[in-house]
Parts: sequence; C-alpha cells; structure tokens
Amino acid sequence: MINGTIFKQTLRANIKLWLIFTLVLTLLQVVMVSVFDDRMITDIGHMVEGTPLAGFFGQTTLLSMLASTFYAIHGVIFPIIYIIMTANSLIAAQVDRGSMAYLLSTPTKRSTIIVTQASYLIIALVVMFCIETVAGFITLQVFQSDVDVVIADFMMLNIGLFLLMFAISGISFFFSSLCNLSKNSLAFGAGIPLAFFLFQLLSSVDDSLEVLRYFTMNALFDTAAILEGENYWWQFGILLGIGIVLYIASLVVFKRKDLPL
Amino acid sequence: MTIISLQHVTKDYGHGRGIFDVSFHVKKGTVYGFLGPNGAGKTTAIRHIMGFSKPQQGIVTVSGLNSWNNASTIQETLGYLPGEVALPEHLTGEQFIQMMMDLRKIKDDTHCKKLMDFFELDASGKVKRMSLGMKRKLAIVTAFMHDPDILVLDEPTSGLDPIMQQRFIDFIKDEKRRGKTILLSSHIFTEVDATCDEISIIKEGHIISSFNKQELLNMTEKVFHLTVENTKDYTQLIQMIESDITFQLISKNEQINELQISCYPSDLSKLIKRIADFPLLSFSEVPFSLEKHFMEFYDRRVGGELPWQ
Repeated sequence: MINGTIFKQTLRANIKLWLIFTLVLTLLQVVMVSVFDDRMITDIGHMVEGTPLAGFFGQTTLLSMLASTFYAIHGVIFPIIYIIMTANSLIAAQVDRGSMAYLLSTPTKRSTIIVTQASYLIIALVVMFCIETVAGFITLQVFQSDVDVVIADFMMLNIGLFLLMFAISGISFFFSSLCNLSKNSLAFGAGIPLAFFLFQLLSSVDDSLEVLRYFTMNALFDTAAILEGENYWWQFGILLGIGIVLYIASLVVFKRKDLPL
Repeated sequence: MTIISLQHVTKDYGHGRGIFDVSFHVKKGTVYGFLGPNGAGKTTAIRHIMGFSKPQQGIVTVSGLNSWNNASTIQETLGYLPGEVALPEHLTGEQFIQMMMDLRKIKDDTHCKKLMDFFELDASGKVKRMSLGMKRKLAIVTAFMHDPDILVLDEPTSGLDPIMQQRFIDFIKDEKRRGKTILLSSHIFTEVDATCDEISIIKEGHIISSFNKQELLNMTEKVFHLTVENTKDYTQLIQMIESDITFQLISKNEQINELQISCYPSDLSKLIKRIADFPLLSFSEVPFSLEKHFMEFYDRRVGGELPWQ
C-alpha cells in the first residue's frame, strides 16, 4: 500500500522542516533536563517555608518540573506547529495547487497516496519523539546522575506526549484530506489543535478556567496521573483510538471526494 | 469502437456552473475536439473522464471501464495533459521525469528521450526556475512518456510559442496516424481546425453542437472571390447571379469590379459553367474557416437551432 516513489519524494520535500523541528524539540528537552538543580529547589523550598507556596516547592521533582514545562508547553506546541505545516502540505496543498493531478494521472490509487502520506507523517513523529526521548534519557544520565528519577515515568511521559501528537496529527491530516483548499484545511487542521492547546494552558492557570479541561483533547495526556501512579491507560487508549479513527476517516473521505484537478 | 464515452453526465456546481446532460463519444483512432469559451465546462468534463470527479447523474467510461471506479487502471493506457501547469516545485526537471517514470513503472526511457528531443526540453534546472513554456513542455513529456493509447489534452498549446504550437499540432497528427484516440479541449480555433475529425461545442455546460468536420465542410456554402475585367461584364455578371437562386451575392465593390459569390458544393460545376463566359482577372476561393462558424455558436443562445439541420 505504501508507494516507495511517492514516499521518497515526500521525504525529500519535507525533511528540512522535520530536521529543524526535531532539533529544536531535542534541544529544548536537553536544556530543560540539564538546568534542573535539585539544591536550588530545596533552597527555594526553605525560603518559602510557611507561605502558601511551600507545598508546591516541597514536592517538586525533576519530572514534575518537566511535566509543568516541557510536557505542558514547549514539547506540545512545537510538534503541533510541525504537524500543522506538514499535514497541510502532504495532501490539501497539493490538491489546492493542482500538483496532485500528476500523481493521479499515473496508475496510482488514491488510497495509496493517502496511506503513503499518512505513513510519512506518523513515521516522522515516531522518529522525532524517539530522538527527543533518547536525548532526554542521555542528558538525565550525564547531568542528573545524582538525582533520583523514575525512568519508567519519564518513558511514559514521552509515550503519552507521542500519543497526544498522534491524535492531533490525525485531526490535521483528516482536514488536509477533506478540504480542497489550503485555507480551509488550515482553518480546521490548525485551529482545532491550537484551540485545544490554549484551553489546556488556560485551564491550568486558574481554577475558574478549569472547566476548559473538558473541552480539550490535550487533557487526556494527564502528566499528574502518570507521575502519581494513577490509572492513565484508558486515556492513552482513547488518544490512540482517536488517531486511528481519524486516519481511517481521512482515507475514506479522500477516496470518495471530488478533486478539483 | 468507442473509447471515451460520456452518457447524460450532469454535475451541477451551483450558480449555473458545471455540466448538464453532456453526452459524447470518442471513437478509436479519432481526434475529438472539445471547444468552448473559458468556464464553459470543458475541464469539468475532463475531470470526470480522469475519475477526479464523480458524476451526479450519468455514466463516464473509458475503454468500457467506469472512470470513477477504475481510475487507476485507466491511467495505465491514458496520457493526461492538465490545463494548468502545477508541477511539484522542489524537484529538478530530471528528478520529476524520473519520478513519473517510476510511478508509471517504465524501465525503458527511449520514448521519453525522443519526446524530449522533439519538444526541445531542457530538464536540467529546478522546476521552480523554469519558464512557463518549459514547464509546459515538461508536462507534455511526462504525460506521453508511456506512449499511451488514449490522449486527453486540456488546452494543450497554451503557453507554447508559435513554433512549439505547430510542433505540438504535428505531434497530434502523428499520434493520430499511429492509431491513438485523442480528446482535445481548446478555445483556440486553429488547433481544433488543424487536428480534429469530430467536434463538439460546449457553452455554459451544455453541448450546443456536435458535428463531423468533413461533413460540415461538404454541407457548407463555398465562397468565391472574383474580379471582372470591365464594368459592362461586371454589371451583367451581377444581374446573372442575382437572378439565379442557386447563387448568393455576398458582397460587391463596383469601383474595382469585385464581387463575392457563394453556393453549395453541389452547385459548383454550374457556377463554373456560368462564369466561364465572363472575362475574369481573378477567381479564388475564400478558405472556409471554422472560426466564423464557431463565432455564430458562441453568440447563439443555448440549444439554438443549427442552420443546416
């Protein structure tokens, strides 16, 4: 089902963007992990003793610090931007420009095109997060060897983040397959993931906005549940399910729709 | 044998755009001209042949296969030249040609090389940097590299210089000699005139006329331009023409004793016999131009009656 020729061309056209985002994401992870200073947190903990902030710093570990920074903001927004740009260019932009006509004027099935392009997006994300995870793990070993880190939790944070991105890429890819115009594909394929991100961010800022948690898919990547050992498998399952359903839906809509080529 | 067939195909895009109850058939080995102004529905019809769009009503077949359900099988023996050039811009011309060869699973590039030489295509540079004409040539070469039996051409000569336009017309004629079935959409009269056997005119989504060019030529009045030696004979000739309903006087210019006469091909020998008695300085046929004929249709209302029917 995957066409090697198309995959090669897609890789050639998209590799630069992928490299840039992978590099940025990896560097962010490395910096975040390496700047963590256990003693500084303890010092601050002493300073705020007796104030309302005491509880907050008292329980701060390396992973909980990462969970509220990298796994809440940087590690989420950068891959989202990458997904938005790539998903649109994989299908909708080519239909909009008309260059899809050249692929379809060869004996290539529409389903082959979708499967090939979707595979590229998924593989690109898998490799991106593998590199990020490995780099984070090595940084942990090199800079934080004296800090007690639960490696299993660290891995689960990364797997959860990947599953969230898999589901988000499903949204962007679906609208790229559905829409004939780039602007429409971007309106939904970028608008929805960005709205989810903002809702999640706002809901964590203030208690009055916590209701927004129920309107964002990002809440299914529950870092607190992972670190506190609660049951989070059902959330992972839902994210995986959303992604799979959306990719299958992309295939169905693209096979059935009229192409303005 | 019918290769491309549209039967009562309707696709309504709203606001009067689309195609409505369009039917036509392209027989094997013929060149079919699909003529109409911009926005008339030519590209919409071609989209259905290519299987890019699903008809709301009617059926489209290519070589007997439903073009919506069997699009990828049909492409094996079909070459499509899109009306708008939109090539993947991150590639060089050569990379694009290689990609298309791989997608078409072509191993032997002799036919491709031949086409590149014929159209003088230089594919070494980046597609992004190519001129419109060069992109067009690249599209032509990749559309026909697999030597398809069916050619679907959407306004093929737009963007080509006059020399290349002529070369493209030669190419179509040559392909026709090799037994290819060709559908050519155009709004340029000369290329349709030069290549097509059968012609359909489409306007506002409706086919308003379909005819065979040769039959049309046989059924249309011929026009002759005459110059008479002196005024006396000129006046006599005018009188003779005006008194005979077989002939029509189209125009006259008394100062220089010129006139134009028209008659049907069946009355040609009669005309020649009649004018043989007059001292003429010149006698020439005004070449028939489809253009004049088409123009009548462009102005005519949809579904208007045809003058020769």
